[in-house]
Order: sequence, then C-alpha cells, then structure tokens
Amino acid sequence: MLALLYEWLIAPFDYGFMRRAAVGGLALSLAAPPMGVFLMLRGMSLIGDAMAHAILPGVALGFLLAGFSLPIMSLGGVLSGLLVAMLAGSVSQMTGHREDSAMASFFLISLAAGVMLVSLGGSSVDLTHVLFGSILAVNTTALILIAAISSVIVITLALIFRALVVECLDPLFLRGQGMHGGLVHGIFLGLVVLNLTAGFQTLGTLMAVGLMMLPATTARFWSKRLEGLIGIAIVLAMIASTGGLLLSYHLSIPSGPAIILLAGVGYMLSALFGRHHSLTARLRRRAAPLGAPEPH
Amino acid sequence: MEQEPNSRLQLHNLQLAQANRTVLEHVDGRFRDGAITALVGANGTGKSTLIQGIMGMLKPVAGRVACSVPRERRAWLPQQLALDLTFPMSVEELVMTGSWPSHGALTGYCARHYRRGREVMARLGISHLAHRPLGELSGGQRQRALIGRTLMQEAELLLLDEPFANVDSETVDVLMTVLRDMAASGATLIVVLHDMEQLSRLADEVVVLANGHAHWTSPQAILEGQAPIAGTARLTLGIPGVSTC
Repeated sequence: MLALLYEWLIAPFDYGFMRRAAVGGLALSLAAPPMGVFLMLRGMSLIGDAMAHAILPGVALGFLLAGFSLPIMSLGGVLSGLLVAMLAGSVSQMTGHREDSAMASFFLISLAAGVMLVSLGGSSVDLTHVLFGSILAVNTTALILIAAISSVIVITLALIFRALVVECLDPLFLRGQGMHGGLVHGIFLGLVVLNLTAGFQTLGTLMAVGLMMLPATTARFWSKRLEGLIGIAIVLAMIASTGGLLLSYHLSIPSGPAIILLAGVGYMLSALFGRHHSLTARLRRRAAPLGAPEPH
Repeated sequence: MEQEPNSRLQLHNLQLAQANRTVLEHVDGRFRDGAITALVGANGTGKSTLIQGIMGMLKPVAGRVACSVPRERRAWLPQQLALDLTFPMSVEELVMTGSWPSHGALTGYCARHYRRGREVMARLGISHLAHRPLGELSGGQRQRALIGRTLMQEAELLLLDEPFANVDSETVDVLMTVLRDMAASGATLIVVLHDMEQLSRLADEVVVLANGHAHWTSPQAILEGQAPIAGTARLTLGIPGVSTC
C-alpha cells in the first residue's frame, strides 16, 4: 500500500522536469489566485479569459522568431496582452461602446491571429504546447522566469493591496483621497497579464487563466472574508497544480487540462457541499430554526 | 453678511460647468469653521456640482476654491454610493479604512488604530455589528458605518449629500449628535438637505442655490420666510414639511 502511494505520489518527482514543473506550479499558485479573487470580486471574471487570449499572438510571434524560448515568448505575450488591453480601452472610449464588447472583439481576433501564427511556423504539436502547456518544456531558465514573475506579482500586490481593496469597495473614496483609481486598476491589469504569461508554459495560454479563476470562485463557497478567500484559493491552487501534474504524468495527458480539470472538480464539489451559498448550505439554511446563530 | 475672519474653505468668483454647460457662476463666499452649513436648492441647481468642485474633482471654469484642508482630511459621502456591497468586508474593516490615508497605504494598523476604531463604533452604536458583512446591513446601519469612516479619518471638511435619506429616525438622531460634535471640535461641515425640520435642527448657516447663483443666509431666515431668496427657494424646492415649521 505504502509502496503504491510512493509510486503514485513521490516517485514521479525523481525526474527533474517533474520537480521543476511542480515548483513552477507552486510559485504560480501563490501569485495567480489572489488576482483571481480580485477579478471575481470586481465582476471581471471573464476579463482574465479575454486577457489569456490576448497574450497568444505575442507568444506565437515570439515562437516564430526564436523557437521555443520562454523569455522571448513571455515578452511577446506581455506586450500583446498590454496592447490589446489598451486598444480595447481606447476603442471603447472613442466609440462609446462598452469595454467588454471591445474586449470580446479583440480577444477573438487575438486568438485567431495567434493560432494562425503558430500554424504558419510550426506543427500541430507546437500549437498544442502553446495552447495547453507542456511540463516537459519547463527548464531551469523557464523556472527562474516563472519564480521571478510570481515574486514580482506577490510583492506588487502587497504594495497596492489596500488601495486595490478600497478601489474595489468604494472608488469615490479613493478619488477623494487624491489617489488615481485608474492607476491602481492599470497596475492590477498589468499584473494579470504578467501572471498569464508566467503560467502559459506549464498550463498553456488558454488554461493559465484557470489557475487564476477556478480556485478563487471555489473559495467563494468556503469563506466570506477577503483573507479567507485568498488563503483558501492559494491552497486549492497548490493542490490542483501538484495533483494535476501527477495525473498528467500517470495518464499521459497534457498538464494544463489535467490541472484545471482537477480544480474544476474542486469547484463542483464545493458548489454542492461548500459552507456558503452551496446547494447543501441552502438546504441547511432553510432548516435552521428562528433565532439560530448565523453560520460564520 | 458677517463672516468669520478665518475660514478653511472659501470660494472666489467660482464658475463650474458640467459637460460645457455652466451650472454655477460668480459664487463668492466662505464656509465657517466649526459650523454646519446646509446646502439647499431644487434638483439641477448644482448642489452636487458644487460639492465636486469643492472636493477638487471638477476643475473650475473660472475663479477658484481656496481650501486649506489637506486632502486626507476631506471626506465626502455622496448620495449615490459607489460602494460595492457584495465585497467581503466587515463594518470594522470599513471603519478602519478611514485611517489609512493619514498613516499611509503601506504600514499596517497598530493597536492605537484598532482602539480608536472601537471607540468610533461605540459612539455610533454599531459595536455589535463590528464583524457583520456590509451587505447584511440596513440603510441606517450602513450610514452609521460610513460616518464612522469619516470620524476615523478625523475629517476637517465633511461634505454630506442627503445623509438622512432612507435612514431610520433613531439613526438620524445619533448621526445629528455626532455631526454636531464634529462641528464643535472645529470641523467644517456642508450638508445637502431637503427636509426643513432637519435643517432647523442641524444647520448653523444655509447656502441656497438657485438660478446658477449661491446665496448665504441663516436658517431662521429660511424657516420664517424672511429672506426673499428663501421664499423663492421654498417655492422652487417644494420642500416637504415646510408647512409644519
């Protein structure tokens, strides 16, 4: 029994690429979920998705120019992500259309352009790697890059945390204090793009947003407090990324979908059995007698 | 009109516009320190515009707002709150956010801040709600928490846009006492009011906005209908409760 557990859970990490992918996954799990929590709380859950598509053309262009080089692809991803965010913002300002419709248009264009660029220069295997990730590709350079980006994100988030909270809760209060809400918002969106670029190596461009959003939306079923949401989301992301890697190793499936599906299972179970707002919580609530203390 | 020699907030020939349309012009006057000034006027006469101008969110077309109160000591409670009530934050945490502009966004709260936060909540009668999420509060409780934030901020200039709308009468009494105390300790308060009974209880001075101009007067003049401008204001306002005063 113990031998079986060892073979399933520990032995795969004898391989260097698994160790690197696991450490990369844990670093991402520290940085991505807090961003997801803020995106969710601001009703911007789908913006992460749009941004994930937006980084694709840059990643593809980097791939065309320099092959499978993570730093070049990441740089391309950051640039195209920021470019699309700015374009969407300015188009909506110029035309008066809502920002989400501009965003939707641009992310579809980005996705198509990205897929076309990768297909032009590479095989369908390359396309799968870029879209859905490949743990085999995480070399030491990639790992350092992921860790560095995650550190930058965590530190920057800590610095703007209070301003971000106030900006989410009451933008007018922040403006009244002479702080520019747009600046905080812009830094935050920049961090989202950075985060997605760091994530696409193991998870793929399309799946990277999953490690951001799914732990956050799952945590909503377990906590009503901001610290609780962030803490739970980080733990969930760590479990999902490590567990997903093991699944990917044993079942020979792409790592991105394995990690995200595992997080997805967590979401479904929490929707059924979580402490707050879940199906069973609603049933329990209906049964609670008058004057019963509120669940916390 | 008699004015205090010292005033933190003075308007000099101020002209304010919204979307290229002048809303107020030639506004000259001082707001007395340590007094509550009621701002009255019919809808569309520029009450919110004036408040935005004073808060520095609207650039004057001409003239200027001379305000010696530092930004972090100015507080504004708009009527249409931009507050996101689904955000997971407790009453205590909301009240505490009032303290960070003065001690910086980077340093944490210390015991002194928490003690002050508890004092503020006790003063407003919301101690028992400290850990309640904002989304579960009534209108009155929410207003108390928001006033708590301005107390925490140690606001020297406080602008309130109809603070007593949709608020229970007990909360009105508590808030009026707190606002009076703030004025007594030297703060300058400007309150948009429609209700004459509340105006009579709260205001030391009145500024009437009508036809793009502002006129300083006293609550007595408004209530007794002596000031000619008060008469037109009452006519244009259609103020509820005016007949009972």
